[in-house]
Formats: sequence, structure tokens, C-alpha cells
Amino acid sequence: MADRRHLKSWRDLWQHRARSLLVVLAVALGLTAAGIVLDAWALVERATDEGYRASLPVSATLVLDRADARALALARAQPDIAAARLRRSLMASMQVSGRTRNAVLVALEDFQQADIARLRAESPTWPPVGDGLWMERSSLDFSGANVGEPISLRLPGAETRSVELMGLLRDVSLAPGWMENLVYLYGTEAALKRLGAPAGFNELQVRMRDDHPTRAEVRRSVEALQARLVAAGYIVKSVDVPEPGEHIHAAQMDSLLMTQGAFGLMALLACGFLVVNLVSAMLAGQTREIGVMKVLGGSPRQIGAMVLAQAAALGLLASAIAVPVSLWLGRIYGGLKADLLNFPLDGIATPAWAVVLQLVVGLALPVAAAALPVRAALRRPVGEALRDIGITREGQALSLQRGALAARLVPWLGGWARPLLLSVGNAFRRRQRMLLTVLALAFGGAVYLGAANLRSAVRGSVDELFSAQRYQVQVRVAATSATRLQALAADVPGVAAVEAWRGLRSSIGSEPLTLLGVPAEGRLLTPRMMEGRWLAEGNAQEIVVTRLLQRQQPALTVGSRHRIADREWTVVGLVDGGPQALAYTSRATLDAMAGNDLATSIVVRLERPESPIALLDAVKQLRDSFAEAGITVAGSQSQADGRRVIEDHLLMVVDFLGAMGLVMIAVGAMGLASTMGLAVLERRREIGVLRAIGARDGAILALIQVEGLTLVALAWLTSLPLALPISALLEVAFGRIMFSVPWRLVPSAGTAFGWLGLMALISLVACLLPARRALRIPAAQALAYN
Amino acid sequence: MPSNGAPRAPPVPTLAAMQDEQPPLIRLRGVGKSYPAAGGAFHALSDVTLDIHPGEFVAVVGPSGSGKSTLLNLLAGIDRAGSGELSIAGQDLRALPERELSRWRGRAVGVVFQFFQLLPTLTALENVMLPMDFCDQWPAAGRPERARALLERLGVADQADKFPSALSGGQQQRVALARALANSPALILADEPTGNLDSVNAEALLALLAELAREQGVTIVMVTHEAAALGQVQRSLRLRDGRLVEDRQHG
Repeated sequence: MADRRHLKSWRDLWQHRARSLLVVLAVALGLTAAGIVLDAWALVERATDEGYRASLPVSATLVLDRADARALALARAQPDIAAARLRRSLMASMQVSGRTRNAVLVALEDFQQADIARLRAESPTWPPVGDGLWMERSSLDFSGANVGEPISLRLPGAETRSVELMGLLRDVSLAPGWMENLVYLYGTEAALKRLGAPAGFNELQVRMRDDHPTRAEVRRSVEALQARLVAAGYIVKSVDVPEPGEHIHAAQMDSLLMTQGAFGLMALLACGFLVVNLVSAMLAGQTREIGVMKVLGGSPRQIGAMVLAQAAALGLLASAIAVPVSLWLGRIYGGLKADLLNFPLDGIATPAWAVVLQLVVGLALPVAAAALPVRAALRRPVGEALRDIGITREGQALSLQRGALAARLVPWLGGWARPLLLSVGNAFRRRQRMLLTVLALAFGGAVYLGAANLRSAVRGSVDELFSAQRYQVQVRVAATSATRLQALAADVPGVAAVEAWRGLRSSIGSEPLTLLGVPAEGRLLTPRMMEGRWLAEGNAQEIVVTRLLQRQQPALTVGSRHRIADREWTVVGLVDGGPQALAYTSRATLDAMAGNDLATSIVVRLERPESPIALLDAVKQLRDSFAEAGITVAGSQSQADGRRVIEDHLLMVVDFLGAMGLVMIAVGAMGLASTMGLAVLERRREIGVLRAIGARDGAILALIQVEGLTLVALAWLTSLPLALPISALLEVAFGRIMFSVPWRLVPSAGTAFGWLGLMALISLVACLLPARRALRIPAAQALAYN
Repeated sequence: MPSNGAPRAPPVPTLAAMQDEQPPLIRLRGVGKSYPAAGGAFHALSDVTLDIHPGEFVAVVGPSGSGKSTLLNLLAGIDRAGSGELSIAGQDLRALPERELSRWRGRAVGVVFQFFQLLPTLTALENVMLPMDFCDQWPAAGRPERARALLERLGVADQADKFPSALSGGQQQRVALARALANSPALILADEPTGNLDSVNAEALLALLAELAREQGVTIVMVTHEAAALGQVQRSLRLRDGRLVEDRQHG
């Protein structure tokens, strides 16, 4: 026969099963929210670790005038280089089913080379041979193409050609094509040549022998190789050295998951508040029994162990629910995240430590939440505990039903005034419980408001970015005279203004840099200056950098000077630029450097910018006009498309944070329901007295609901100032993950009052059951002793 | 020598005489207890001095607020005396730290409450075993048997597997008494044990208590308003306004 102490513990849980279930649900909810983020992070960490490292990623890419077997041999001869390969990549324009997409074509010498940047076959047909092309799998949906069907491709300076899409592959070194708005296509050198690409290769990619080199070590090695190549007569046009061992989006993903993890922890904290309330109520109901057990010889340690065992049992049950659910949802969410990194989760299992951690937290949370109320209950003197009849230790209610306030309200509310004020005052009777309930609700609300602020900030940043772009279409072309390009574009009906721009890929040291030459006094690009000034006509060798570029290369401060393309340049300004890492300079400067006025893109403002039909027409006519003039179009993009791509994957981040807020609100609502349920339970006699003196159903109902609404109003008022630091936190975190956004710390009136309305609705629903229970209490309850 | 020459049987000692020879189980010297109140300290007990010997069945009587329950709480270690000396079976209760007090109480004292205070989620048998589980004086295997024997002794063995809500008041109080006896304490404290019973059950319970004191030598101190109780006890202590005003022996 089991020890009677254990029997009592389990049976008590069963007797108060509604309350026990509430504790289990609260812990399970918080544990699930935190567990989803933890499991997703653990899976993605493992996938990227195993997947990315296993792919033997490229340490550096050198763009040469020509990349041939001799260059390859030079690289392989260097002792600290483990592997090298030849590659050619170039931009193209792809058309499928009337849709035009920008494409990157990649040719490799050996697709099955296993010692550098391994590709994974995703189709039966492998490796790429012949004239067909293979597509990176993440580009398939975005491209609109189908495997086995032809696609149209036009390379710069070549005719449009049809080529069959033969299969799919996975290249884990790339961000997903849909995210970059690019279609990645792979083929043999012969296949690209048939499409009009120059023969041979132009890129040399190397991998370091050291498995964990620092970036500086890689740069030193590449500089040595570069020197050898130059000595051998090669021209090294640019060098790209990514952060070793890290996927290009890995840092962002880590920051994102860490931020979400922080909110997972906050959800756990909110659950902790709820559990403290519930355990306190559980103990309040057992005060006399605890006193009796002390009289029977139970030591505080023995009795405390009984209660903590109950809390642990509930935690175990909550874990049994939460762990499988979070494993399942964590895999789905992790899959979405891994997809953002272009990694498969197939065959990757959630690490055991993540499961163990969740179990430990699931057990520890209710035990920790119970510890303080248990301690308080056990310290209560035995005599006092034995005298407890369930309605003790309450603080004073706020006396609002007398005095000036009541006198003012009575003419308005009539006979309802005093009972309503009584109800409002009642909310303060159990101050600790009230505080925890209000805090749990307020936290959830603050996160919800913070996410709303962040969404608004992100939208604001995107608005600002695109408001600076006073054009609707950008067309990239093979280098063409700017004057000619502008004249052709201006002739197209519906075009209001045009500007020709030119780009230059260069580097600062070994860091890549894209210079975009724009008319210094042009009117189609007018970004807001954050620091310094915009370009000035007539001033040469000036650049204005975007904030993201400055974050990547912190030396690019306003006023600093740098050597780019064999010239000294001064940074004169800093603009927002959103997700673009660019440096702007005047086109005249680049023209002077090159000795010509060749432009590589044209931006166009339309007479009717709001009309999608006018936009499509204009794009078609521009392309036709350029084609007729023998100008090759490499690609085009409307501002609307570009904005959509950026917004979509930014707001995905924001929406998840909003979802965390909703989880916390759900926990807060459970807290409110349990608080009001307990209030009704504890005031049975009081409600019986009200019945005895004539209170009808409506009055009792109003009593409960008004008390609930009072707590909600307090939570709303608390959530508003709390939303300020949470909004700041979210916006800083978002800035680290993506790009900095303008501060939005104060929610709009619509959002704030919308939140109040939502909470009021939550309160009415949460208090429904306790209110109905209150209605069933008879007047005779007033006379009952026990 | 008697007239027939047979040796004289030794005189049968009276209980009182026996008790006078043994050291007192309960010893109070100048004990006082005050509680803070809005209008100044309330003296629940003042300067109470008395001895209670093993095997005595003592009633504590007096009007409401006279300090009866306070005295019982002090004897149970539920409250602590503010002044004076209080020892039970040689143990000075004021010297015991709080964590030791529960342990001592479980082994030395059994308490019977007016409102029974049985734990509602345990059966009658389990309620009786619970103090044994806390104090660990009896081997675990033997506890059910001992509990049944106690219930049998008090005439409620057939109610062993029922929950308190299924028992009558009289049955609950008998179970509570069995629970109080679980660890074979030297002292039973009963606070208005018949207060919630009808007259038949009340009389039966008092008879049981008297029998325990008489046959098993258990010392019983009982707070009561029951006039019939004075017919069962050996001694009564009358309190008024926190003071011991009368200490009377009964038949």
C-alpha cells in the first residue's frame, strides 16, 4: 500500500482537477512556445553544421580575366589550399510562360568534384551533361518552370535561346532563389557557350586546408595566391572572402532564433506567474489541512515535499503534452527556417539535449513557481492555519462605493453605481494575485503591441526606402551609351522621366564593393540623409554609403577616405538604404574613370505610376525598343515586385513575434479565468449574502464581469509603458537580424484601443464560467459554516 | 494481624495516590500568553500554574474567552507561551525549535478537534495511518494492522475503507480519536470533542476517553462545555479571564 502522503497528494490533485488541469495547460503552453523555438534552433544548428560543413564550402572566389587549368594548378600547389575549382557565372534573363525573371547561370568544370562546394542531386538525371540546364531547387516555384520543359534564356549580347530544364540540384552555399529574386541555373561550359556565353571559365574558387581558419588567415592565403596569379600574367578583377564556416544568412538566422528564444522565455515567465497564482490558490484551500498535518507530526519539510511533488507531477504531465507537440511543431518551424537557409532537414533528428532540457524546465517551472507560496504557507503558525476558514489574509478592498466618486456616479448609473464601484474595489482584495494576473496579461499585451510597432517600423522603413526611389521600373542592359539609352526610353509612350546609371564592381582591400553611379543632381533617387550630405555635381571621388554597407564595413564612416579601384575616395554621406549594401557615386565620376558614358541600367518613372497595366505596357515597350536598337536587356524589375519580395520575408519575422505575443495573451487570459474562478470560490458566503439581501442574476453577473474588466483595464494601462522597452528591444534585435528600422515606440491609437477591445472580449469570455458558477450559489450559502 | 492469622493483603493504592508518587507529565509554572489587539495586548492566559499526572482525565472548563483553547494550544505546542515554564514529559517546549516541534508533537501528543479535521481525500484507515507515516515509529508493513486494531477498539472498523464524507459525526470523531492514538502518545488533547455530536454519541465518546485514561493510562486533557463530561473526568480545571480559578477533584 502506498504511503498515505503520496495518496493524499495524488487524490488532492484529482479532487481539484479543474485547477490542476489549468496548471498543466499553463505550463504546457509556455513550454510548447519555448520548446518550438528551441527545437527549431537545435535542428537548424545541426542541419547547418552538418549540412554546410559537409558541403566543404568555398573559402574564397577570385574573378580573373581567364580561369584555366594553369590557374587551377597554381592554386592547388599552394600548401594551405586543400581544393580548387573553375567556374563561370553570369547574369541572364529567363522567360517562362510569359514571366521574365533574372537568372544567374553557373558553369562548373566538374559537377561531381567532391572536395569543394559539393552539390547535391535532387533529380535522377545527374550530373549535368550536354546542352541542358539544371536549376537550384529553391528557384523552381519562383521561376514558374517545370523540369523536362523548355525555358527561354537571353544572355547579354546574345540571342534568346530555348533550353531544356533537365533536373534539379541543391547548392547549400546559396540563399534561396525566391529570397534573392533570382533563378539559379547550372550547366556545362558547353551549354553556356551554346547560349552565347564566352568560352572557358572566369572564376577560381578555393577551399582552405585548415577546417577552421579565421577570415584573416584566408585573406592572407588568398593574397599570396593572388600574387602568384598576377606574376603568372593573370588579371585578378575581384576577390570575395566570405566569413569562414558560416552560411551567408547564418548570423541572421541565429539572431532571429535567439530573439524568438527570448520571447519563448518570456512566455515561460508569464506561465510562471500563472502557476504561482494557481499554486497559491491551491495552498490557500489547503491551509487548514496543512495545519492539521503539522499537528499530526508532519514536519515542514515533509509537508513541503508533498506539495512540491504535486507541482512536479503536474509539470511532468505538462511536459508529456508539450514535448511531443513542440518536437512536431519545432520540426515544421525549423523546416521553414532551414528552407530560408536552403538546407534540408531530412535525416536530422532533434538532439537529445533539447528534449532533456525541455523536460527539466517542465519539471522545474511549476516546482520553482510553487516554492515561494509553499514556503509562505508552511511558515504560517499552526494555530492561525487551524483557524482559517477560507476567507482570510485578504487585503482591504478599495472603498470606492462611498464618498465623492459614488456621489458623482449615482445620478448617471442610478442603483448600479455602488455595486459597480464595490466590484472595482474588490479587484484589489488579493493584491499579490491581482498583480501576477495583471502582469501576465500586460506582458502579453506589451509583446503584441511591440510586434505591432515593429511591423509599423518595418513598413515605415520599406516605405522610406521606396519613397526614395521615384521610379517604377529598372531595366538592366548590356553596357550602352547613356545618352542613347535615355533617348530611347524617353520616346516610349507613358514614360515621364528617365535616368541612366552605371555600376562598377570593385573592392576595398579584399572586401567586395558595388559602386552605383547615379546623376548627382538626378531626381529619380532622393534618399533621406542620415549623416553628411548627398553627392554634389562636379565633385569627383565622393561616395555615399548605405547603412547596411557601413555595418558590414565599419570603416566606412562619413569623412573617411578609402582606396577603391586605384583612386582615393571620400565618404561624404550615409543613407538608410534598407536591405541594400551599396555605395553611390556620381555617374560622371565613373564615366571619367572609364573614359566613356556607358550605362548598365536605366530607371524610368511613368506618367501613370499607379496603373499595373501601364507598368506592364511600359516594360514591354522599353524592352522592344531596346531590342530593336540592338541593346541587350539583361533583366528588369518593377519597384512593386522588389518591394513585395523585401516585405514578404521581413514581415515573416515580425509575424512570428506577433504570434509569440498571442501565446502570452492566451496565458494571460488563462490567468484571468483562474483568478476570477478563485475569487468566486472564495466569496461563496459573500455572494450568498448578496443573494439573501436581494441581488438578482444580473447584479451577480455584473459583479464578476466588472471585476474582470477592472483587471483588464489595469493590464492595458500597464502594457502601454511596458511596450516601450519591448518595442525598443524588438527593433534593436530586428536591426541586428535584418537592417535598422526607424524607431516606433508608441503604438497607434487604433492599435492601442484595438488591443483594449481584444482584452475586454477576452475578459468577458474568461469570466463567463466563473460568472455562471456565481449565479448558482444560493442564499443559504451565507449561513453555511464550512 | 487478622484474627484468623492469615497475612494482611497490602492496601490497594488509589489512583490519586499512585499519581502523586509519579512525577507530573505536564508541568506549568506561571504560564502566560498574550496576543496583540487593536486596543492593546489581550491576555489570553495569565500566571497559570498546575501539574497534571500520567493517567489523569482532566476537563478544562470556563466561559467563552476564558483561555481554554489557548491552554490546549500551548500544551500541543501549536502556540508558544509568552512567559513562564511549560514542560511535557520532561521536555521544555519553549526550548524546542519549530522544526523539532512537529516531530515531538507527532510522537508525544494526539489531538482531537471539535470539527474532526479528518483529511477528506483519505479513507478512515488512511487517516489513522497518516501520523504513523509522518513519525515513522511503526514499521511500514505493520501500520495497516495497527490502524485497523485502533478502529476496532473504537468500534468503527467496518468504516475503515470509507471517506470522511460518508461517515456520521460520531463515526468521524471516533476515527479522529483513533488517529490521535496512532503513535501511542502519552497525552491526548481534545478540544470540545463532543461539540459537534448528538447527546448519545457525545456520551459514548466521553466513556471511551475515560476508559482510555483508566485502562491504558493515557493522560487526557479535554476542553469542554459538556456538563455530562464532569461525571467522567477525575479532575476539572476552571478558567476565567485567563486565570485558573478552580482545580477540583471528582469522584
